[in-house]
Amino acid sequence: MPRYLVERTFPDGLEIPQNDVGAAMIARVVSNNTNEAVTWVRSFVIDDRTKTFCIYDGPTPESIRRAATSNGLPIDSISEITVLDPYFYIGG
Amino acid sequence: MPTLERDELLAQLGGYLERAHTGFGTFVFLDGEAGAGKTTVARALAEIAGAKTLVLTGHCDPLSTPRPLGPLRDMAADSDSGMGDLAGPDDRYEVFSEVLARLQHSIRPILMIIEDIHWADAATLDMLTYLGRRIGNTKALVLTTYRGDEIGPDHQLRPVLGDLLTKPDVHRHTVEMLTTDAVRTLAGDRPVDAETIHRVTGGNAFYVTELLVTDGSVPPTVQEAVLARVGRLDEEARAAVEAVSIAPRSMEADHIKSLVGTPSAAAERALHAGVLVGDERGYRFRHELARLAVEDAIPDPRRVDYHRRMLGVLASSDDTARLAHHAIETGDPELILEFAPRAASDASRRQSQHEAVRFFAATHPHVDAMAPLERFRFLDEYQRSLYSVDNQATAGKIAVEMLEIAYHLADPLLLGRAHRTHSRAVWLTGATEAANKEAKKALEILEPLGDSEELVLSLRICAHNEMLDRRYRTGMAYCRRAVDMAERIGFGTEHAMAILTMGTLELVNNDVEEGIRLLERSIELGKQAGAPRVENVAYGMLGTGGGEVRVYERALDWLDSGIALDLAQDHDYGVAYATAWKARIKCEQGKWDEAVALAEEVATYDASVARISPVTALGALGRVRVRRGDPGAEKALRQSIDLGETGALQHIWAPLCALAEMYWLQNKPEKAIELLEEPLRRVLTTDTVWGRGEIAYWMWRVGGLPQVPDNLAAPFEMMITGDWKGAAAEWNRIGCPYEEALALSEGDTEAKFGALEIFDSLGARPAGQRLRRLLREAGIDSVPRGPRKTTLENPAGLTARQAEVYDLVGRGLSNGEIAERLFISQKTVEHHVSAIFSKLGVATRSEAIALTRENEG
Repeated sequence: MPRYLVERTFPDGLEIPQNDVGAAMIARVVSNNTNEAVTWVRSFVIDDRTKTFCIYDGPTPESIRRAATSNGLPIDSISEITVLDPYFYIGG
Repeated sequence: MPTLERDELLAQLGGYLERAHTGFGTFVFLDGEAGAGKTTVARALAEIAGAKTLVLTGHCDPLSTPRPLGPLRDMAADSDSGMGDLAGPDDRYEVFSEVLARLQHSIRPILMIIEDIHWADAATLDMLTYLGRRIGNTKALVLTTYRGDEIGPDHQLRPVLGDLLTKPDVHRHTVEMLTTDAVRTLAGDRPVDAETIHRVTGGNAFYVTELLVTDGSVPPTVQEAVLARVGRLDEEARAAVEAVSIAPRSMEADHIKSLVGTPSAAAERALHAGVLVGDERGYRFRHELARLAVEDAIPDPRRVDYHRRMLGVLASSDDTARLAHHAIETGDPELILEFAPRAASDASRRQSQHEAVRFFAATHPHVDAMAPLERFRFLDEYQRSLYSVDNQATAGKIAVEMLEIAYHLADPLLLGRAHRTHSRAVWLTGATEAANKEAKKALEILEPLGDSEELVLSLRICAHNEMLDRRYRTGMAYCRRAVDMAERIGFGTEHAMAILTMGTLELVNNDVEEGIRLLERSIELGKQAGAPRVENVAYGMLGTGGGEVRVYERALDWLDSGIALDLAQDHDYGVAYATAWKARIKCEQGKWDEAVALAEEVATYDASVARISPVTALGALGRVRVRRGDPGAEKALRQSIDLGETGALQHIWAPLCALAEMYWLQNKPEKAIELLEEPLRRVLTTDTVWGRGEIAYWMWRVGGLPQVPDNLAAPFEMMITGDWKGAAAEWNRIGCPYEEALALSEGDTEAKFGALEIFDSLGARPAGQRLRRLLREAGIDSVPRGPRKTTLENPAGLTARQAEVYDLVGRGLSNGEIAERLFISQKTVEHHVSAIFSKLGVATRSEAIALTRENEG
């Protein structure tokens, strides 16, 4: 399954409270994703929370988009990615 | 096994458990046929019950002499049960009252499961009666399971059921068969047809799961289970069951008698044991899978003999399908040749093409025994059915066989027909050149013989090929000859088809409305000639041709009409192609989500299906990705082009242009020029204004067009000659927002801003970025930013504003008060509040307030 990098912009800043409410939101996102066979791996959020870079596994870019729509998440762009890690080269 | 579709049942049973906690007991009979999943439900309930419930389990066994109080002994053997000392006392009533006392005074609530009580011994049945009548004030849920289909009218469980079910606190529930949806879920990614599996198993959970792990033959576990049941019957009943197993559906009572000589009571006994069920005709198996299991187990000589004798029994029947079924099962080539071809023709006439293909295929290995002419006609019918179900690969092979016979017989009419058939089959595998040669060969052979139906057909096929290649003049010439000859010899169907081809030529190369008129006329002519299928083909032409000349709304209607007709007649080929075209139209209209959904339906390429369907679907999918800037664009487009390369240009010019567009957006114009050079040369030898227009436009776009060709579709010509305004207006009229924006991009600053708005609203990132860059480089400030992303509803996290509103809701403020506090309108507050509620999963304000309390505490 390909891995994708999804960039998102939240002009008002993304707020996910660190409590039950936030946990419930996350759980719903994960659950909706499964309808498209999409897995949310991890997200990187910039300092003022207006932009995120999210790593996803999914069958097609369209499945990523459908999952995003069902969760109400905006998409700036989707790129297919592979991992480049310095340790691959330096070894040990 | 997951508990699919059992949620409601488990919820009810769970509810009884809850009541048991408070001292109100329930007795449940859980009915379900063998393999329905009763044990699974019982186990799931035990898990729900958890550690706070004492779970006791006992089983009844199909022993010839059942152990008295067998299930109780099972529970006694379990040291945790506290039932150990009960096995002792001889007086059973003492035992019963002891058990009841345990159920009443237990500290923990009790879930007592007793399985398969249709095999219960007399003492256990008495105990159940005793407990059932007194269950009300215990802390127990007694759950018994049984096979309702296996208890005949005289079964000893019947009076127990009859007595207890009238009591309060005694309930019966049924474990239902799985639905097709559940089968689909169980199948997961496996490449199986959920509907077929459901049909064959009747939704029996055990059969379904077993069948999913085999390759489609009867799973040994199923066979064992079924044969075990049959084995419990007496000899006569077993014979009757065997007889019924050879019938494709059900068997009449007297046929059973004729076949195995058993009296009718024998089948009735099998009925009472649940092995057979009755229907309006006679007897059959409850599940197709069970029938197959029994039939498979019959030794071949006896089985073949049964089938052979059935043919005699059914001698006066006109049910050709039934006769063919038995003939095929005997494996006797003579019998197969006698019965199967008839059944195939009948099925084909009824438009049950899948059924027809099965019968044709069963006969095919034996066709050498037929006389050559008869064989030819048989093969001709066969390939027509294959074409309908979109099995083009096999259709092609059959066409080659037809050619061989025709050459052997040296009959020009047959040769003409064979070449023509082969031409179509070859075309559908994508080899257009070869197909054209075949069609012309047919013409060569037939022309010297003068007027004939075969010649009309060949002329029309040649016209059709010219139409496919978009050659207007030559196509029309063939059409006119075909129309004239068809009228002369009174060949109504071909007259209609020739008019249809003329209409298509007009539609895509010349006069749209005239083309539509001719196509509509062809439908009428087809009906007059008693050839209703002309209508399906006409809708296909109107739909795909209409899409090509961009009269989108009408095209979509025609495509839908065609799909509805095709579905009703098992004509898969038409449906796939029409769906692919819908995807392409939606793509061009800027409705990208819809386009993707439709393309995904079609885009898996099955080697036997007509290629033009996945070529078109992948082209649409790829184009959407190019325009969105999503990954996988080149892959989809290359796949489309590869599949379509040997075919007509009309199918691949869209993906070629989409790929060129991608190179343009990536700033690699030289790659686009290389890509389009040959296609441009080819398309300019044809008459399709839209094909010429689009390819010429993109060649111009990347700087590879030395001079403007003539005869281009209007909006493309306008863009090339600099009339961006006229082009934008025309694209707007047609309904192509992306092309409209491309045109506006060539205009003044205001027009460019308009283009940006369109690109942004479509989500066309690469085009939008490119335009923004151009504006910046031209020193134009105040470029509008991208769309406000919060226009999307309900982001997953509360935005900062929503968090504010939520806080004030928690403090008990009304919407009006919140609006005042935050200096926003009440309507905005209401909008925020409803978004917050749906994110939190609450329905009322008080719930939301309760949540804030929780979080604070």
